[in-house]
Amino acid sequence: MIKAGQIEKGTALLIKGQPFLCIEREFVNPGKGSAFVRLKLKSPATGQTLSETMKSQDNAEDITIEDRDFQYLYNDGENFSFMNTENYEQIEVPMKSFEGYEFLMKEGESYRITMWEDQVLDIQIPSKVVYVVTETEDAARGDTVQGVTKDAVLETGLKIRVPGFIKKGEKVRVNTETKEYLERVNS
Amino acid sequence: MFDFQVERKRSELYMRIRRFFLGRDYLEVFTPTLSTSLIPEPTIRNFETEFINEFMPRRKMYLIPSPEIFMKRMIAEGSPSIFQISQCFRNAEQLGTIHNPEFSMLEYYSLDFDEEDSIALTHEFLKETALEEADGKIRKKPLVMSVKEAVWQYSHFDLDEAQSVEKIRIEAEKRGHVIPSDEAWDDTFNRIFITDVEPSLPKDSPVILKDYPVQIDCLAEKKNDFYRARWEMYIDGIEIANCYREETDKRRTREYYEKEYAILKCEREKSGEVIPAVDYSFCDIEMRKSSGVAIGLDRLLMVELGKNDIEDVLPFSFRKMMNV
Repeated sequence: MIKAGQIEKGTALLIKGQPFLCIEREFVNPGKGSAFVRLKLKSPATGQTLSETMKSQDNAEDITIEDRDFQYLYNDGENFSFMNTENYEQIEVPMKSFEGYEFLMKEGESYRITMWEDQVLDIQIPSKVVYVVTETEDAARGDTVQGVTKDAVLETGLKIRVPGFIKKGEKVRVNTETKEYLERVNS
Repeated sequence: MFDFQVERKRSELYMRIRRFFLGRDYLEVFTPTLSTSLIPEPTIRNFETEFINEFMPRRKMYLIPSPEIFMKRMIAEGSPSIFQISQCFRNAEQLGTIHNPEFSMLEYYSLDFDEEDSIALTHEFLKETALEEADGKIRKKPLVMSVKEAVWQYSHFDLDEAQSVEKIRIEAEKRGHVIPSDEAWDDTFNRIFITDVEPSLPKDSPVILKDYPVQIDCLAEKKNDFYRARWEMYIDGIEIANCYREETDKRRTREYYEKEYAILKCEREKSGEVIPAVDYSFCDIEMRKSSGVAIGLDRLLMVELGKNDIEDVLPFSFRKMMNV
């Protein structure tokens, strides 16, 4: 048990038997009254978000979570398959819990996964990742000027906008949160 | 790196504030930040220190959570309307984006004013003192609504019908809150208020919420059986100001002191926290008809400069000093 005032962004809590991760925390002190925390929680299992207001002195049930390394193998349209890189055990994670992650994870790459007991709470994707451009039109003459962008598809199937000078087969660094092109990477 | 531009802007804001009040014949006063006694307020925890003089017994002293006691004594002793900019201290404050345990407060007490007069004055204050960087919405006429109206609009129940602990608990539980069995009315109300009302307040002009429930006890006069002559002002969803039509009834002030001090003592004896000395002679002052407003100046500066974190206007915030 912890006091609600001790909850931070990233703290894992058990709410009505379900694990939730705190994604936002804000302290609120009414002009006259006890101190409160306003929390935004997310269930990694279902993606459901929850707003909770608790008094700082209220008890909350925190749970111990740990990070383990897994290799991403493939997805079958329903589940992601991962392999624990230490004991080679395989696990399956429902894709609906991590919507869009199939466009961010590369098969064969290792990812750090946050777990509570046997449940996957979070798959950590680095904020900047280098991908190969697998499809994009060649720039039309004159379109290489700065500021002109075009569609591109990356090796994972992720569609982004890239500058006109980027060619098929080149590598680009992408912000995985905003899904925006950051820079060309020379290999 | 210090942002000296912010320091320049704070200095300019303070000059504008002084010009505003001095131009209206308010007297600027300077009262202590270290006091031998405080108003008993169970939810505001205190910083304690000790006065040492080798020829006198040691004496506990407290950093003020607001200059209220001193300023009200001045009003009672015949001062004109007064204002003060002072440093205030609240212990056990969470170190968030709008809180720092030491903060700057502007308080002004206007003689013969009620809380409605203070709304008009505070609007003029915002219009005339706003820095040129401040968004135009700060100068707009505040949207005034009662707490009852706000609860109806954003949490959809009638506050008049939820005056008992049982009834407010039912409303809170309907909204998914888990309420401890011994929780007081004001804490349960605040759960609903903080979840449903505060985040929904409009942000395109200052918002004044007036007529706070009587169950939230304070030294503001009662308007009727359910509500007190008190308002709070929000800008950009952040609570910036608090106003009372000041209590003038000595008996009520004494009742408040006795009740709040009993709660404070009971809670802090359990938790082992500082129990400040209380001076009951305050209950006998001849408080005159007036309205007092307190404005958090760090927050006001933050909002005017478009900063998202109070730390951006405090070069030596607690978080910076403590490296957290």
